Amino acid sequence: MDFLYHGLLEAIRLLLSGDPETYSAVAATLKVSSYAMAASLLMGIPLGFVLGHLRFPGRRQARLAVDTLLSLPTVFIGLMVYAFISRQGPLGHMGLLFTLPGIAIGQTLLALPVVIALTATAVESMDANLRVTLRSLGANRRQLMRATLWEARHGILAAALNAYGRVMTEVGISMMVGGNIKWHTRTITTAIALETNKGQFAMGIALGLILLLIAFGVTAAMSLLRGK
Amino acid sequence: MAPLYQLDRIRHHYNGHTVLAIDDWTLSAGSITGLVGANGCGKSTLLKLLGFVERPAEGEILFNGRRTTPMDDATRRTVVLLPQESHLLKRTVFANVAYGLRVRQDRHQERERVAQALEWVGLPADAFARRPWFALSGGEARRVALAARLVLRPQVLLLDEPTTSVDGASAQRMKAAALYAHRQWGTSLIVASHDLAWLHEICHDVIHLFAGRILGTGLQTLLFGPWLDLGAGRVAMALTDGQRFVALRPAEQADAAVAAIDPRRLTLLCSDQAPSQAQAIMEGILSSLTLDPRAGGINASVTVGHTEFRVHLPADHPALAGLTPGRAARIAYAPEDVRWYA
Repeated sequence: MDFLYHGLLEAIRLLLSGDPETYSAVAATLKVSSYAMAASLLMGIPLGFVLGHLRFPGRRQARLAVDTLLSLPTVFIGLMVYAFISRQGPLGHMGLLFTLPGIAIGQTLLALPVVIALTATAVESMDANLRVTLRSLGANRRQLMRATLWEARHGILAAALNAYGRVMTEVGISMMVGGNIKWHTRTITTAIALETNKGQFAMGIALGLILLLIAFGVTAAMSLLRGK
Repeated sequence: MAPLYQLDRIRHHYNGHTVLAIDDWTLSAGSITGLVGANGCGKSTLLKLLGFVERPAEGEILFNGRRTTPMDDATRRTVVLLPQESHLLKRTVFANVAYGLRVRQDRHQERERVAQALEWVGLPADAFARRPWFALSGGEARRVALAARLVLRPQVLLLDEPTTSVDGASAQRMKAAALYAHRQWGTSLIVASHDLAWLHEICHDVIHLFAGRILGTGLQTLLFGPWLDLGAGRVAMALTDGQRFVALRPAEQADAAVAAIDPRRLTLLCSDQAPSQAQAIMEGILSSLTLDPRAGGINASVTVGHTEFRVHLPADHPALAGLTPGRAARIAYAPEDVRWYA
């Protein structure tokens, strides 16, 4: 089990020495996950509000569909996105295959159901009197949505964290859509997979610890935000 | 001038069950109106419709003579409702009170106006404005919710059981603040409450709601039965000590009917006065005597068993001589004066 200990030392060395290959993977991971989170929150929060707040025909079916998509396998998303953006695919002309935006599209699809479903749950669990209160104070539709989302902010923050966890740690989409190209589309998770294949367990563990460190940083920042 | 509210064939349903059925009702501006009735009689629903928070399933509500919809911002912003369970936003007291001003994009002297509204409900801004929503007692939270409405200086203020489950001091403050709005800005108040004494003291009119319907207005006493058939076209409701309230049998089914007797149809008998042959008589305890500033005269409440009968008398009525609350009193009425609501 020496490789665990070596892995820890290696992680510290890689971080402190500013190893360019490691930092390239960290940068790719942060960049692609930021794109995916921004897109999924921008689309997912309003959609989650609609699903949790409004009563419309087909709402239950829509909810069921979103809940089902929570367990979408990453390799399946990778496959679908690959099919769409590969040369023969309908979006092939956009040149997204083996690029970071390509991976971001796949990761957005991964995060979107999480953001929608958990936002809808957070909005649904709001006090039934909130709507009456906001309306009675003169809020219009847009103000009602903004205030409800603000009231549900802790739940939405939890949704974002949950989605971020999935996006940061997935391998299937990054590998299939990104192609694990060194200096270009290699993320921390695809690098770990590669290092493990090469038998470089210590390096893999080092990268895993770095991933954990980033996750800790994001969670701590969110927790501080929540405290306010 | 068009009435403030005009309700035309209003029907409202929850889960297929009709909770409100009002055919025709108008309300003039600048008045204080009380809504009374048992829990579940439709008071809160009526207030939500009048506050344009909900849209009636059927019928139309005209506001100042105009057709309105719940999304009509101009109307909704002149009418403000304090719901029965007022919800505070997860923000500071200041942000809660300022919310209504901010949605109106009216931030002129916001700090001063919020502080003033808090003062009206007896919460010093220095001590309360920065407090978070969770650091308030139930009575304080209710007062903050009222301050958030008063700061808007609305044309109509709808209060749904404003003083229920708050401490005496908070209730006193809230009542004073609501009356302040009425006097200062001519705000029309519509108040649903179980505090009948307060309503009778401040209201120009009191509306009785029963099972979603308006059962007349004023200080009339309502009797809900059960009704016992006495034969010879008469029915009776048992009161206490073997006493009965007797009325002529209603035209429709007596089981679900509600009887009402107007305060002016009840007579307070002098101690030595004999009732007329046609009159029914009841003995109870005089529970209150209040001045009726609008109609003139005195409103007396006589409690027989659990039922409080309200009697309207001229101020110089001989039966009032030497009579103080707590004393035994006799009241008489003609059974044919009892009105029925089916």
